[in-house]
Amino acid sequence: MIDPKTAWEPYKPSADNPWDVRKVGHLYRRTGFGATRAELEAGVADGYEKVLGRVLAGEPESADFGRTSEYMSSERSMPPGAPQQRLSAWWLDRMLKTAHPLREKITLFWHNHFATSNAKVQNARFMLGQYRLMYRHALGSFREMLVEMGTDPAMLVWLDTTQSVRGKPNENYARELMELFSLGIGNYSEKDIREAARAFTGYEIDKGKGAFNTRKHDPSEKTVLGKTGTFKGEDVARICLDQPACPRFIVRKLYRFLIGESEQPAPELIEPLADLYRESEFDTGKLVAVMLRSNLFFSPAAYRAKIKSPVDFAVGIVRGLEGTAGTLPLAGVLEGLGQVVFAPPSVKGWDGGPAWLNAQTLLSRNNLALALTSTEDGRFGTRCDPAALLARHGKKTDEEVVDFLLGLFLQGDVPADSRAKLLDYLARTKTTKYPVYWAPDDVTNHRLRAVAHLVLTLPEFQLD
Amino acid sequence: MSTSRREFLQASTLLGFGATVPAFLGRTAFAAAPAGKSGAKDTVLVVVQLTGGNDGLNTVIPYKDADYYKLRPTIAIPKDQVKGIGKDMGLHPAMDATARLLNDRSAVCVVQGVGYPNPSQSHFRSMDVWHGASTAETLTEGWVGKALKAKPTAAFHLATGNESAPLALAGAPVRVPSVTSLEDFQLKMAAASGADKDAQKGVITNVAKAPASPGPPNNLLDFVARTQMNTYASSDKLAAVGKNYQPKVPYPATAFADRLKLAAQLIDAGIGARIFYVSLDNFDTHAGQGGVTGAHANLLQQLSDGISAFYRDLAERGHKDRLCVMTFSEFGRRAGENGSKGTDHGSGAPMFLVGGKVKAGLVGDHPSLTKLEAGNLGHAIDFRRVYAAVLDHWLGVDSQTVLGGRFDPTEVFDVG
Repeated sequence: MIDPKTAWEPYKPSADNPWDVRKVGHLYRRTGFGATRAELEAGVADGYEKVLGRVLAGEPESADFGRTSEYMSSERSMPPGAPQQRLSAWWLDRMLKTAHPLREKITLFWHNHFATSNAKVQNARFMLGQYRLMYRHALGSFREMLVEMGTDPAMLVWLDTTQSVRGKPNENYARELMELFSLGIGNYSEKDIREAARAFTGYEIDKGKGAFNTRKHDPSEKTVLGKTGTFKGEDVARICLDQPACPRFIVRKLYRFLIGESEQPAPELIEPLADLYRESEFDTGKLVAVMLRSNLFFSPAAYRAKIKSPVDFAVGIVRGLEGTAGTLPLAGVLEGLGQVVFAPPSVKGWDGGPAWLNAQTLLSRNNLALALTSTEDGRFGTRCDPAALLARHGKKTDEEVVDFLLGLFLQGDVPADSRAKLLDYLARTKTTKYPVYWAPDDVTNHRLRAVAHLVLTLPEFQLD
Repeated sequence: MSTSRREFLQASTLLGFGATVPAFLGRTAFAAAPAGKSGAKDTVLVVVQLTGGNDGLNTVIPYKDADYYKLRPTIAIPKDQVKGIGKDMGLHPAMDATARLLNDRSAVCVVQGVGYPNPSQSHFRSMDVWHGASTAETLTEGWVGKALKAKPTAAFHLATGNESAPLALAGAPVRVPSVTSLEDFQLKMAAASGADKDAQKGVITNVAKAPASPGPPNNLLDFVARTQMNTYASSDKLAAVGKNYQPKVPYPATAFADRLKLAAQLIDAGIGARIFYVSLDNFDTHAGQGGVTGAHANLLQQLSDGISAFYRDLAERGHKDRLCVMTFSEFGRRAGENGSKGTDHGSGAPMFLVGGKVKAGLVGDHPSLTKLEAGNLGHAIDFRRVYAAVLDHWLGVDSQTVLGGRFDPTEVFDVG
């Protein structure tokens, strides 16, 4: 058990608990989408302080990244009726190429928190608008984000606020604001919801922006969570933020995202962070930094204590292979793995954890790993090739190949028996009868791609 | 208690996700006994979840009650449009196929006014209550999972891409596989030859059995390895099921009907599968739900036409007396419509049971439209009484074991 007193103190490398490649891999998985070989090597060489600083602040984005992403999300490329897959692909492209993965990753956290689906919103402009709102505040102020979310066009459509008018309030947003966005069940009453719903009347969308229409708003007195006044929506959001349950609720959720899913954190672990969060006016960047620097984050309690999300799984493979993949087909395949960004299954978002994995999604993961490592699958192009990667890094012998791949994707942290089985497979391929028309290079490349696929089916690779 | 509490518990104890042995069960233990008596051995249960809170009042309609029309000035179904099913009740016109299954084939039982005490109006909490068949704060196992524990049998969750395994199935001794399609339910490899394929498959299936990684035990890793083992065993099993299923009646072209068609295929394949779990989403009609036509009508049409085709297909194959489809939703909706021509979250609502052996017609009275509870319809029948009937009289599993107490089974079957 981790001592709550020292859990959130900064980790200090020591002889017993050294800074090593496993910790670098862990950090890059949780704060982004996995490390490349170069990032792992630099991470070990540069040491904890420097790497952590780099991860938190991010590198400057390239001009090309900004330009391309901007262009691809322009009204011309992404009109309101743009298909879901194009919208998802746009974000996946950012995840693959960004120089500040943490910010994309925390934006994804907020997307799962304010889970809004284009399946109902049916407007790519609104969805992008909500993305920008979350990206802007991802590592900034949750307070501002929660207040602004109340008039975000995608949210206004998603939870029917645009339909809620004086005398005929719609409870949808008021309920989820309390249950899912700020407090958690048990911290409000049905009466609070009915009262709060009256505050969220009169909101509409005008020229693509959230607007307030006094004529449709219910200006009368409401009593919400013990406070009485002629509240508007933003007042209710602030009342929720002032509840002690609010920072605890967000901290717990972020704990599950950054630290681990396998244990329910004790209140002693949550309270100090909840205090810090409230005192900092809900500065998420500060909270995230404390969590990531901590003893707890670099302890066995957090190591591989999550199941990879489908996005982590797929983007991690492509980044690790130093390749590129068509994000449009990738977005399509990710549906079979259970995660379509911009289209979560419900306002609760993805359950995550063990719920990510079932028979179908596991097979889909294996088969996606195959598609990405085998150049035979035309969908993703041929620029994501383990054989080319191994050649670039000068890995030739069976041992070099297996150790390189295990090092890259799992920092070598697998049972010796698994390594032996992979080597055994490569040994067996020496007696395999190949089609007569295969050139020697075809045989070599086939073996390398096949063993890369096998590495990605190891149970350890499903863990984050 | 938050839902995340449940997620943590599932993750930490992994209670819900089954044991190590990939005992994908074959037909031997469960075949052969004739249907038609209590808990017959080859009965099939298909649970249909209507996600989002189905508006029961516009599904089973008290069309002679003037209060119904007062409560719903814009979304009520006119008297002359409902499909009568007796006792002054009618089904939504989009459910014509279900009305005909009831009126012509006596294959539908409608249980009215189903709910539970102090109902939650949170989608997620209330869904957990229905899944766990309990109002306990922390729920880690589901009622179907517990039934499977009491009486192991093959079961399938027929899923959409974006849908994770329901809590209802947690607690089964072998994790219930989720399947979206047989085509996608295969372990693929890029192999140079049959021997190469075998070698690759050998690694993939054997690394899942490898001892745990060095360091402290990792129960998530165990969970992954167990899921892998079960999955590869299921995948082998389903590879034997023929790919080209020819339905005896046409199914509607909906994703929901596709999932039922897959259930029919698996039932007909005789692999011993007795429990299926299927969901239909988007019943959360807060705004613009429509009346005779519109969003809610479309959903009911998908539901009704899908189930009707499924029933008739299986009836033609001689399985109708083995079949029981049971629908539920996490709650009904508010009796009065809101200002958005929709309905907010409510409580009591009807359930449907469809099959050759159900007690045809209406069970229970429609909840009063004048004695509302905070605007919601009351309930007269606890949903666990319907579960008890399904457990005791259909699956042959002692309901007390599963429900943790005595619930008087509602009379929904013709068999005693």
